[in-house]
Amino acid sequence: MGDSAYSFSLTTFSPSGKLLQIEYALTAVASGATSLGIKATNGVVIATEKKLPSILVDEESVKKTSLVTPNTGVAYSGMGPDSRVLVRKARKLAQTYYRMYKEQIPVSQLVRETATVMQESTQQGGVRPFGVSLLVAGYDELGPQLYQVDPSGSYFAWKASAIGKNMVNAKTFLEKRYNEEMELEDAIHTALLTLKEGFEGQISGNNIEITWRKSSNFQGADFKLTLPKTCCKTAQRLRCA
Amino acid sequence: MVIPTEDGGFNFDLCKRNAFLGQQGVKGPSVLKTGTTIAGVIYKDGIVLGADTRSTNGDTVADKNCEKIHYIAPNIWCCGAGTAADTEAVTGMVSSAMELHRLATNRSSRVITAMTMLKQHLFKYQGHVSAALVLGGYDHSGPHLHSVYPHGSTDTLPFVTMGSGSLAAMAVFESGYKENMELEDAKILVARAIEAGIFNDLGSGSNVDLCIINKDGKDYLRNWKCPNERTYRHAGFTFPPGTTPLIKKNMNTAYCTSLPGLSALVEVSDGPEPESMELA
Amino acid sequence: MSIMSYNGSAIIAMVGKDCVAICSDLRFGVQHQTLATDFKKIFKINDECYVGLSGLGSDMQTLRQRFVFRHNLYKLREDRNMKPSTFANMVSAVLYEKRFGPYFCEPVIAGLEPDGTPYITGMDLLGAMAPASDFVVAGDNTESLFGACESFWRPDMNPEELFETISQCLLSGVNRDCLAGWGGVVTVITKDGQFTRSLKGRMD
Repeated sequence: MGDSAYSFSLTTFSPSGKLLQIEYALTAVASGATSLGIKATNGVVIATEKKLPSILVDEESVKKTSLVTPNTGVAYSGMGPDSRVLVRKARKLAQTYYRMYKEQIPVSQLVRETATVMQESTQQGGVRPFGVSLLVAGYDELGPQLYQVDPSGSYFAWKASAIGKNMVNAKTFLEKRYNEEMELEDAIHTALLTLKEGFEGQISGNNIEITWRKSSNFQGADFKLTLPKTCCKTAQRLRCA
Repeated sequence: MVIPTEDGGFNFDLCKRNAFLGQQGVKGPSVLKTGTTIAGVIYKDGIVLGADTRSTNGDTVADKNCEKIHYIAPNIWCCGAGTAADTEAVTGMVSSAMELHRLATNRSSRVITAMTMLKQHLFKYQGHVSAALVLGGYDHSGPHLHSVYPHGSTDTLPFVTMGSGSLAAMAVFESGYKENMELEDAKILVARAIEAGIFNDLGSGSNVDLCIINKDGKDYLRNWKCPNERTYRHAGFTFPPGTTPLIKKNMNTAYCTSLPGLSALVEVSDGPEPESMELA
Repeated sequence: MSIMSYNGSAIIAMVGKDCVAICSDLRFGVQHQTLATDFKKIFKINDECYVGLSGLGSDMQTLRQRFVFRHNLYKLREDRNMKPSTFANMVSAVLYEKRFGPYFCEPVIAGLEPDGTPYITGMDLLGAMAPASDFVVAGDNTESLFGACESFWRPDMNPEELFETISQCLLSGVNRDCLAGWGGVVTVITKDGQFTRSLKGRMD
């Protein structure tokens, strides 16, 4: 890449100083399914809508949150295929770090490395920016952490955040609901409530996905990928409430 | 300055220099070997792996209690004999690849996958990566036990041994192995095989490590038997303060080796509140 | 003649109670010709982590540069020091990269982990780690260093006791080594700081 006469960067400044490709990428994110994350005192949770185009799709086969390391998970809004590329690269970066230091990569470093990959595709020739924003949730020596990474390659740490179609409402909702003393169970509840807020139709274990990481017994416990059953139960409880 | 890359692979920069030094008549260095007795059996419900814990450098014992049973996956473990750095590196590399594979496929690892990765790597290096391995694990199709040779050939057998003590250990297996053994019998048999190596092979010594793998997971029994405790005990010596003569001159001609931390270089102060946060 | 004893070296690291010590001799020679008697083989990486390098002098200095380079980059990236165990794994990875054309150096790493537990490890020139809970040695005459350490070391020494013991081990170890000696330096690392002392040794 880069040696062909035609592989110039597609992301070039407009006269007003904007990078339109990045803004378009953000538009793609903003029209994607809503995802949100909440950092609690003893853990962190990420949740996302899993709306499927047809009831004929086998919902078991669709995964919208994924693990990068045993203690870091990712949710995305935007283009699914792009997110898979990023997740694959992030996993490889995490393994490279592990093989060098025999230590799990800290969340901040993983986020930085992933953001670097995203930034490179805003400057490189012949490529377009990634059409996704990521919510990276993890737990390391510094405790539970939540980051958001955008197509431009910029990233921020959040106490709670939302991306995607319903991001504005969800964030307002989170701002009202969030408090610093929130524990994980509360956070999971709030996450579901927030998703429910902007949801078209009934939420159930089949059309959302939720992943969390509890900080207690950090040594052994892995990120818990939600079993649809647990999810259903919580969702049912919510419907009743 | 060459910026170090982290994309892996070997670097051959020093080969020419080292070959030249060899021509000048200097002898090459010795490396840590795990002289080693390693072994494994299939028992009724799974696998028992065993290893001694001596690592040697020439005729000197370099480590009296090293670990030779390496992690590959939660359900797959691997005993290593040969050049210590090679066994460590090759198992580390494969365990890393296996984890990526698990994440990509959402399935637990299979022993045959690990074995194939190991043999392909070892064959590629034509025996120069000198790792002789006993690979054991329990996957969806049951228990599997393989031995992997440094040139990349593999065996699949109900009981295997490797390393310089492999003959001693195999003698025990050949006389004592039975099909469908109970766990306790298998543990005792493997430990006896390793002990045969410990006591009859000079490259092997110290303690017996075991690792049991079955459908319920693994049980790593570090130093399951310690038949070679120190026979003499004494309190060590106490040298009163001031015993060692010092010289005033500071020989610590220290280089400044390291940057001060970022927090030491900058001062953090509260600025005005930003009005809004741009996400683009 | 082995390339590992071309310049001469002797290094020991030892564990005490909540402290570790690392020491080296001071000779630098070319085979039997002594060129310097203040040659540094122990390098500070940070307050809680030191590395000693034995073997070929030129490779020792090259490696020191590469380790410090990597530690500095790590510090800029992560805004923290490497733990001794992390540093040791990095050293191991750097050495194994040159598996088929190695640096002729056997490193010894000593330090305190963030929770205060002592950490020492030796390594061969390909990066095979051998962490220990008592002592590790490296150099051109490890037999005599091993012998001294095996009999002098005892558990739970305080910093001063550790200093005397490691000093005696080094001095008696190099007493039977033509290629190493000419005094030594000892650094003891504790939670509250480190001290370094220079030892008087025989000069023959």
